Amino acid sequence: MCSRFKETMGFALASSGLLGATGSQAEYGLNFVEPAAGVAQEIYDIHMMTMQVSTVLLLIVFGIVFYSLYYHRKSKGFEPDQNFHKSWFGNWSWVIVPVMVLGVDLTIASKADAVLKKVWVVPEGEKLMDVKVTGHQWWWEFDYLDHNIKVESRYIPQEKSEDLYLREVDNRLLLPNNTKVRFLHTSADVLHAFWVPALGFKKDAIPGYVTETWADLDREGVFRGQCAEICGTWHSRMPIVVEVVSQDKFDNWLEEQNQIKVAALAEASAGKTWSKDELMAKGEELYNTKCAACHQVSGLGLPPAFPALKASPIALGPVAAHLDIVLNGKEGTAMQAWGTMNDLEIAAIMTYERNAWDNNTGDVVQPADVKQAR
Amino acid sequence: MSEQTSELRKKNIVVALLLAAFALLVFFTSIPFWTGIFRIVGNQAGG
Amino acid sequence: MSTTTLTHDDAHHHETPTGWRRWLYSTNHKDIGTLYLLFALTMLFLGGASAMVIRAELFMPGIQLVDPDLYNNLVTNHALIMIFGAVMPAAAGLANWMIPMMIGAPDMALPRMNNLSFWILPAAATMLILSFVVPFFPGGGTQINTGWTLYPPLSIQVGMSMDFLIFAIHLLGASSILASINIIVTLLNMRAPGMKLMQMPMFCWTWLVTAFLLILVVPVLAGGVTMLLFDRHFGTSFFDAAGGGDPVLFQHLFWFFGHPEVYILLLPSIGVLSHVIPTFSRKPLFGYNSMVGAMLAVATIGMVVWAHHQYTVGMSLGAVTYFMIGTIIISIPVGLMIFNFIATMWRGAMTFETPMLFAIAIILMFTFGGLSGVMLAVVPADMQYHDSMFVVAHFHYVLMPGAVFGLFAGVFYWLPKWTGHMYDERLGKIFFWTNIVGFNITFFPQHFLGLAGMPRRIIDYNVMFTEFNVLSSFGAMIFGFSHLLLLYIVISTIRGGQKAKARAWEGADGLEWELDSPPTFHTWEVAPTIK
Repeated sequence: MCSRFKETMGFALASSGLLGATGSQAEYGLNFVEPAAGVAQEIYDIHMMTMQVSTVLLLIVFGIVFYSLYYHRKSKGFEPDQNFHKSWFGNWSWVIVPVMVLGVDLTIASKADAVLKKVWVVPEGEKLMDVKVTGHQWWWEFDYLDHNIKVESRYIPQEKSEDLYLREVDNRLLLPNNTKVRFLHTSADVLHAFWVPALGFKKDAIPGYVTETWADLDREGVFRGQCAEICGTWHSRMPIVVEVVSQDKFDNWLEEQNQIKVAALAEASAGKTWSKDELMAKGEELYNTKCAACHQVSGLGLPPAFPALKASPIALGPVAAHLDIVLNGKEGTAMQAWGTMNDLEIAAIMTYERNAWDNNTGDVVQPADVKQAR
Repeated sequence: MSEQTSELRKKNIVVALLLAAFALLVFFTSIPFWTGIFRIVGNQAGG
Repeated sequence: MSTTTLTHDDAHHHETPTGWRRWLYSTNHKDIGTLYLLFALTMLFLGGASAMVIRAELFMPGIQLVDPDLYNNLVTNHALIMIFGAVMPAAAGLANWMIPMMIGAPDMALPRMNNLSFWILPAAATMLILSFVVPFFPGGGTQINTGWTLYPPLSIQVGMSMDFLIFAIHLLGASSILASINIIVTLLNMRAPGMKLMQMPMFCWTWLVTAFLLILVVPVLAGGVTMLLFDRHFGTSFFDAAGGGDPVLFQHLFWFFGHPEVYILLLPSIGVLSHVIPTFSRKPLFGYNSMVGAMLAVATIGMVVWAHHQYTVGMSLGAVTYFMIGTIIISIPVGLMIFNFIATMWRGAMTFETPMLFAIAIILMFTFGGLSGVMLAVVPADMQYHDSMFVVAHFHYVLMPGAVFGLFAGVFYWLPKWTGHMYDERLGKIFFWTNIVGFNITFFPQHFLGLAGMPRRIIDYNVMFTEFNVLSSFGAMIFGFSHLLLLYIVISTIRGGQKAKARAWEGADGLEWELDSPPTFHTWEVAPTIK
């Protein structure tokens, strides 16, 4: 750490201008990460282009100013030229300078316009893989629309993720290499923004809107990003990890996911009556992934935004009212509707909430009860 | 301070009231006007 | 508002009031200017304190000092206090002090409204500060965690503190509109006989344009936050997609205000530079006419490019192309302004007193910030930069030199005129260097953080971002504490020091330098004749 700090200091002091064309891939990152898609490469190139133009202009301005500072000073006995602004240059500079700036502007704008057309508009009439990306407070939901599979993606606490803390998730967004992917962005609650630097773009997730972006993936690997639009308390805890794999691997993974899904559905709709211990074990796991971001593992919440569940009138009160809030959410608060979970999951979470942290109501909520309440 | 002449005073107040009226106009038209412009700008989702 | 001026009362003007009455009932432009400046200085330290907590928290990865909600709260109040509490009142303070003296007017056109527009501010500031502290009282609801942009739906979720904030914005807006009306009327009606518009000192021109911008855009912000208030409490759904509204509409309203606001903060400082640079280069401002033209162009184009703050909301290709080109075009008039400043220095006989040092630093760093602005204007590249630390670095490079350092230059430049004492030049230079070095260490590394993928407004970050954050926080401490020196210099100059001549600077030119230092309580009771 300490030696890296010195290195950094040294570098920052040495690089007094903009970056130049180094494209360094140092661990701490001085420039964009290496692109993993064709569109990202285009964006990378236009970024380097504008940066180089800016650097040149900056050097010219600095050069002129420092020349002037050195030679045109009173201590050197320089006599001020009182008629400089009346010379031909003074009279026509208001035309010359804008024309020169306009030339630079047009250079940048024409290149930018070409790149923009390519990255902004999703190609039509081609086979694209659709992934719906939904932002939630504070996790991501990836919906493989073509394969009917959903993935929930949450950050991993520091104890488990260590050096990748805030850059690693429990379930990655798996994508096949050499595919064109269309991302459909939306949000379930407040604004979020999907940003994976290696894919090159960022797009806001807006409730009630579906916005689209696309990427032509061309490299296998793990690409990390984060939510980029402030979305409340745990804005910092919304990493996004995209893993690009070969088509075979992706197909296997799809198969696996399908089997898990079928098994879970079968289990939930088996009509079986579950014991309290089974439900408590399942409930604890589910609660810690889905509910603990707000209500905390300790059940104490973060009042006033996120109320405690421990000894709360709702968790201790009638089952029906509690169930209603879990299924349908509570208007005007951050509590969302959790009705998309299956009956078993909801039953397990309910049972856990009503018995954990000394709540001890002794209530056991069965999947059948949930089914009835829907 | 030397007192403003009544003529200057009147002129000042008239200009000030005109500007205030303009500010109020911008305030009250901001809602429908900008809603409309925003639709024209043409969001993908249609505004 | 302006009806108060209808009641005629001329007894006031001939006594020199003393004690608290002098300040509370003041209709004297110099006293009100002083009040504005002191208010801004106080707010500078408040806003600075929250920035220091932010940087201290970001010094290391992990959450050490504050909880995430308090962090977001600080991010919000740093911006609002600095913009509405520090920079705008400071610029209004300079305007109050200097404009009547520069145009040979005895006072502002509407002195009693002037009093009102200042005294709204402390009330507004109280509301603003309350909005950040009510959550700490029982039943105070949640903290404001939206950032200064107040985007719904997040701002709908926030507790009653958001309502305090909305009313604070209304009050602040009312205050700046009143001040703007006053300045416009003064500049149009109160110029000394014979002074044409195109003969006004450049500082007056910049304020004329700024004031027009203010009355054009502040009411739109007021409209936007009023709609937010209605959505929160009266069941409307302007911004609620579920009710047929549109969350993005607020962003358009906000940035229609927010982008010209950048020029509102910037232009008065450009005005200051237009006096400082000629003075210390000992030759007249290069290109007066093109300066005025460039300024009008900036103001006009600046009104119609707001959506470059929201490229990522999913606008149509046509819309983003328009906003991109419009934004890039702004570099033309801004480039012309910078060029005129450099050409003023060129072949001059420069000396390097503190105001001039700030002016030179502004030219260099503002050019840097402007160029990263051109990079940001390019939509495809902005898809990467947007909402990252790169943006944070960019706008601090624009607003610090462009607005704050310009105000510092103005304060050092006119302090001898206001107080009658020269400030300690050696201390002034020490302040300049610590300030500039601290500023660059703080914000330069943030460019790299943004490019490497660190979003803005996060309390906690991965270890890969550690090095530059450490460096940035280290610089922030130098930068933050250097302002204590500013405070010391200001206080000690008010209390005493070497007597200043009427023309405090050798190369200074303008009506204000024909008055004594400090000027008498009432000046230009007989209008000067313009050569």
